[in-house]
Amino acid sequence: MVSATKQVPEPADDSGLPGPEPRQSLLFRARIWSRRARIVTARVLRLVRTGATRLLPGIRYLLRAVHRRWRRSLQFRTVLTTLMLAVGSFAVVGAYLSNQIAHNLFQERLAQAESETRYNVKQVQDTFDGAQVTDQSSVITLVYDTLNAVEGRGSVIQRRYVFEAMPEQTKPRNRWVESRASDQLTISVIPPELRKAVQDSGKDQFWASTEFPVGTEDRPGIAVGNKVTFNGTVYELYLIYDLNTAQKTLDEIQNVLFAGAAALALMIGAVAWYVTRNVVSPVSHAAVVSEKLAAGQLQERMVVKGEDEVARLGASFNHMAASLQEQITQLATLSQMQQRFVSDVSHELRTPLTTVRMAAEVLYDARDDFDPINKRSAELLYNQVERFQSLLADLLEISRFDAGVAMLDAEPTDIVQLISHVIEGVAPVAAEYGSEVTLNAPAGSIVVEMDDRRIDRILRNLVLNALEHGEGRPVNISVAANDTAVAVAVRDHGIGMSAAEAARVFDRFWRADPARARTTGGSGLGLSIATEDTKLHNGWLQAWGEKGSGSNFRLTLPLRRGETITRSPLQLEPADVGPAGVLMERTTLLVNQPATDPRPASAAGAKEQP
Amino acid sequence: MKARILVVDDDEALAEMIGIVLRNDGFDPVFCADGSQALDIFRSAKPDLVLLDLMLPGMDGIEVCRQIRGESDVPIVMLTAKSDTSDVVRGLESGADDYVPKPFKPAELVARVRARLRPGDQKAPETLRIADVTIDVAGHVVSRNSERISLTPLEFDLLVALARKPWQVFTRELLLEQVWGYRHAADTRLVNVHVQRLRSKIERDPEAPEVVLTVRGVGYKAGS
Repeated sequence: MVSATKQVPEPADDSGLPGPEPRQSLLFRARIWSRRARIVTARVLRLVRTGATRLLPGIRYLLRAVHRRWRRSLQFRTVLTTLMLAVGSFAVVGAYLSNQIAHNLFQERLAQAESETRYNVKQVQDTFDGAQVTDQSSVITLVYDTLNAVEGRGSVIQRRYVFEAMPEQTKPRNRWVESRASDQLTISVIPPELRKAVQDSGKDQFWASTEFPVGTEDRPGIAVGNKVTFNGTVYELYLIYDLNTAQKTLDEIQNVLFAGAAALALMIGAVAWYVTRNVVSPVSHAAVVSEKLAAGQLQERMVVKGEDEVARLGASFNHMAASLQEQITQLATLSQMQQRFVSDVSHELRTPLTTVRMAAEVLYDARDDFDPINKRSAELLYNQVERFQSLLADLLEISRFDAGVAMLDAEPTDIVQLISHVIEGVAPVAAEYGSEVTLNAPAGSIVVEMDDRRIDRILRNLVLNALEHGEGRPVNISVAANDTAVAVAVRDHGIGMSAAEAARVFDRFWRADPARARTTGGSGLGLSIATEDTKLHNGWLQAWGEKGSGSNFRLTLPLRRGETITRSPLQLEPADVGPAGVLMERTTLLVNQPATDPRPASAAGAKEQP
Repeated sequence: MKARILVVDDDEALAEMIGIVLRNDGFDPVFCADGSQALDIFRSAKPDLVLLDLMLPGMDGIEVCRQIRGESDVPIVMLTAKSDTSDVVRGLESGADDYVPKPFKPAELVARVRARLRPGDQKAPETLRIADVTIDVAGHVVSRNSERISLTPLEFDLLVALARKPWQVFTRELLLEQVWGYRHAADTRLVNVHVQRLRSKIERDPEAPEVVLTVRGVGYKAGS
């Protein structure tokens, strides 16, 4: 089909694009769609506004639930993503398809309109050329009949027409017909560009899209125009073809496409749900099982079906669980054996040691009856058995910690009172070194949930260490508490230690100066045991030292069992060395002078003693 | 008359050494090396005090302790090589009055023995009351509504110590000193375990004590 019809160039379009027809139809459809969209948007907005005010809390809850689901469920996320991607791709494909169909429909209709127009214009021209009429009424009748014939026979109007004399031409006397148009039409439905193109050309045919009224509605259509001559007058003849049926077809096709896409999207969602469920359910099963394993249910295993990747995961997971269980059981057995061993060694060693010790003491008590050599031997035996015993006790204590059998026997106890007892206990040693032990306890009593036997051991150890390294200078003990923790600081002003030594002081068998005489005969495990005792309480044990300025050991304990310490109530670096600290006032508790202390609460322990 | 002391210990050397020390201090030791024979020897020897090792062949020391306590109020002091909390507490709960952890000094052992053998206060007749419990100190009788409650001598001493000074709160250390005769701070679990045992005998509801009250963070006092 050869088309001689040219499209009227749009006034705005001077770029000369190769295919302007689809653009024309697109523009046209865009106008319709935009109008529909405006209406729909307005309605939706109104609905959203009224709904938002009433349903806002519900919507917010829903959104949060969806968001939570999105974060926590892999399946939900996968299905939703798949759905969104599917809808997106359907939108793209659907838009392309419907565009393509619209274009084809339009082209087909246009081709038909062009050929029909050519035929009809020729018919009209032929009729006009062969007319033998001269009077006004027969001319009018001829023209009207000829034009009415263009509308087609039958009840359905196949095309409409607009017939108008070209302006700006000399008006002959016998020109009785100026214009004529189908029902409801006037020349204004023809776009001016089309008219101009028709007027300016010779006998060429032109077309343009237009809208024309039918009944109460505006219908889309194609106007094809050409010129005919009658009785020396040039007329413009435009035939207008209805695109309504094409538009309806297109709408139907779009509806079908839309329905198909929706159904497909639902099916894809269902498929995605099914597939991800198949993949995710073993994973979530594995998650549940590993959570149970982590909680200590070591016999828990995954269900293995088939030979696929998931089955391999299950099998290797089970393998891992089995070896884990085996190792944990083995460790537990080892720990039990260790515990048994420690207990056995404890018993087996202590019984003979008790005998040896008693014998040594009997000999020691009778040493005055011996000759000098035997007397000195009895003394050495007695002292060394004592040292051996304390070393053994410390070793057994440490091994109990290592075996993890040490238990915390905590109950609320007044720590200030306990410190007073410790000070009383070390009084003979303090007198031996010539050191004064002072207590600074601004709060009269601080009740702490603790294992008093262990805390007593820690503090006794710290104070004895301070005395040993204190060079006879005073040893100050400070106690303070905040909301969550209590701290005890033991400060000496003796030889002190470097920062590096302070870092190692809690190591087992470590000694600041190996050449130094072991005057108190400690095992070298005292501070290690103190560290373990502190750990058992969830506490801190820290050391500060400076060569020549002495050292400070700070024990911090949570006030209530199981709580964590955030800040110690006392400063580790002493106030008298570093910047101003929390040690505000110093109250002295003289150990040998119990009744003169101004603070009855801190001296309470001392008063009870005989 | 010399106090007779039954030493139940399977270690011959230690038993002999304990014998030497006890004899040296004027006691009359009797020995038993097997847990299963301990009860028979106890019945025949009628000792004034039992020194009992916890680990014994034949029968566990804890079981021996329970059996002896089942038929007598004789003071029992455990000799223990284990200082694990659970073992000590188990021993005390089975009826022992005190314990001496190995290795111990001879003086320590003798002090513990003497403390348990200390004759009761033979004073003028004295009657004390805590809550609805009546204590006849001289007659060693405790009763509620004229119904007699059986206590071991140690439990009796503990109750009397509290009842004599109902206005005072006793710390565990003070009770250790007054009731057990310790001069220095020792294991306060002794007090905890015996207070619980005492409560199980004299309280109507041991969960809500009325006779022996706990003062949180300090110690115990008598109820009013």
